Amino acid sequence: MSEGLNRRQLLAAAAATAMTAVAAGVPTPDVRRRLLQMNGYPLDAETPLDLLTTYLTPNDLFFVRHHWNPTFPDASTWRLTVDGEVERPLSLSLSDLKAMPRASATCVLQCAGNGRSLHRPIVPGVQWKYGAVGNAKWTGVRVRDVLEKAGLKAGARHLHTFGTDKPPEKVPPFHRSVELDKIREDGVIAFEMNGEPLPQAHGGPARLVVPGWAGDHWMKWLDRISPQAAPQTGFYMDTAYRYPKTPGEPGVAFKPDEMTPVTELFVKSNITESPAAARVGKAATIRGFAFSGAPDVAKVEVTDDGGATWSPATLGKDHDPHAWRLWSFAYTPKNSGRVTLHARATDSRGSVQPKNAVWNQSGYLYNAWPSADVEVSA
Amino acid sequence: MRRAGVAVVAAVVALVLAAGALVFAQSRPAPPEELPVAGTQLGEFPDGPMKAVADQACLRCHSTDMIRQQRLTEKQWTAELTKMAGWGAVVPEDQKAALIAYFVEHFGPDNDRFQPVVARPAP
Repeated sequence: MSEGLNRRQLLAAAAATAMTAVAAGVPTPDVRRRLLQMNGYPLDAETPLDLLTTYLTPNDLFFVRHHWNPTFPDASTWRLTVDGEVERPLSLSLSDLKAMPRASATCVLQCAGNGRSLHRPIVPGVQWKYGAVGNAKWTGVRVRDVLEKAGLKAGARHLHTFGTDKPPEKVPPFHRSVELDKIREDGVIAFEMNGEPLPQAHGGPARLVVPGWAGDHWMKWLDRISPQAAPQTGFYMDTAYRYPKTPGEPGVAFKPDEMTPVTELFVKSNITESPAAARVGKAATIRGFAFSGAPDVAKVEVTDDGGATWSPATLGKDHDPHAWRLWSFAYTPKNSGRVTLHARATDSRGSVQPKNAVWNQSGYLYNAWPSADVEVSA
Repeated sequence: MRRAGVAVVAAVVALVLAAGALVFAQSRPAPPEELPVAGTQLGEFPDGPMKAVADQACLRCHSTDMIRQQRLTEKQWTAELTKMAGWGAVVPEDQKAALIAYFVEHFGPDNDRFQPVVARPAP
């Protein structure tokens, strides 16, 4: 559970902060407040699981995924262009957006590739483990309100989305589209995250929020939306961010026509807290979070016998559509020895988290049962 | 005398605790200063004749981390290098095979050396 902070680093950090604290007369800072950096540049960093224990993930601990080194837009001169299949093309400033009715969505943002390093056989790409995911309150304006303001034409089916980040060399641009039916239902153009101005690292001044859908749809540094009849084309639509329609043989690459775009997140739970040791007959607390592309999580269960029998966990009271549910489970071991616990979530549509994830050559949407080992003594 | 000393020590401890609690209540825990700030490039490619070739091919767009965390077969490395060359990575034709061999040697399927950098959240 303390993955990413090795013993040497932890001791060094603790010793140095303790000395600083003594000198300054202040309490020892929380040395666990950290990210696990996967790439120095462009910055990719995940949140350690032991910090994903709150309903809202703090902005500075929220995972960061950049495709390339971004040029952050200046909020004072930033404009959002609305063109394409609309009656009245628009160019909106941040003030224009803020003058419109506000909308918020508290929901999970997960990188499509979260958990990639856990797929077998191994696949290339950022080797995320567990923490390219977080839950935040995103505030801005409804996409449908902006489209109504521009006068959406009847023939449009897909919203093409563009951001200000430009690829280096001959790398294809990150141009995307989202189905209009989905984005008009609950899509938000967010300029706040957890009540603060949207940080640049998370797409500020404004980004797209697509509740329940994977992060590749959540365009950062959004500067143009354009309704069109056809979906966007290009590398990041036609080759990347595609997932097999039906499971295949692990390690055998799927052909393009066997795949479909990644859209909704799959039902998934993770374990964030579990004791390394426990005693027979004494309850120990296991905690975690669970979410899905479906609006809610119906239940989370825990097994200590590899899935032969399951016991229900208690879901946290906080929930919103497509947000995660925190859960806890009081585990009372019956026998001594080394026990492996697993968790699984079931969503409000009845989808159950699988024992094994579907292998795919890009390593998307890993959602196998999480596990935690406990040494039980008599 | 001894009781007075104990009382003074107790009072000082209480004061320090109270002051500490006040400071703690007013500021959220600061991240440890000695961890690198997120976004810091630290790792280098392994020494060898291909290091300079890898530096030139890869580092214009991303840090060495992106390579060093991979665990790929020769077939996978060949596909990655072909993709990157198409996207603008400069690899002299007569160095391609050696560069792939270098990546397979250091970042093949049994590569377990990469650890994420434990970083302070950027301010």
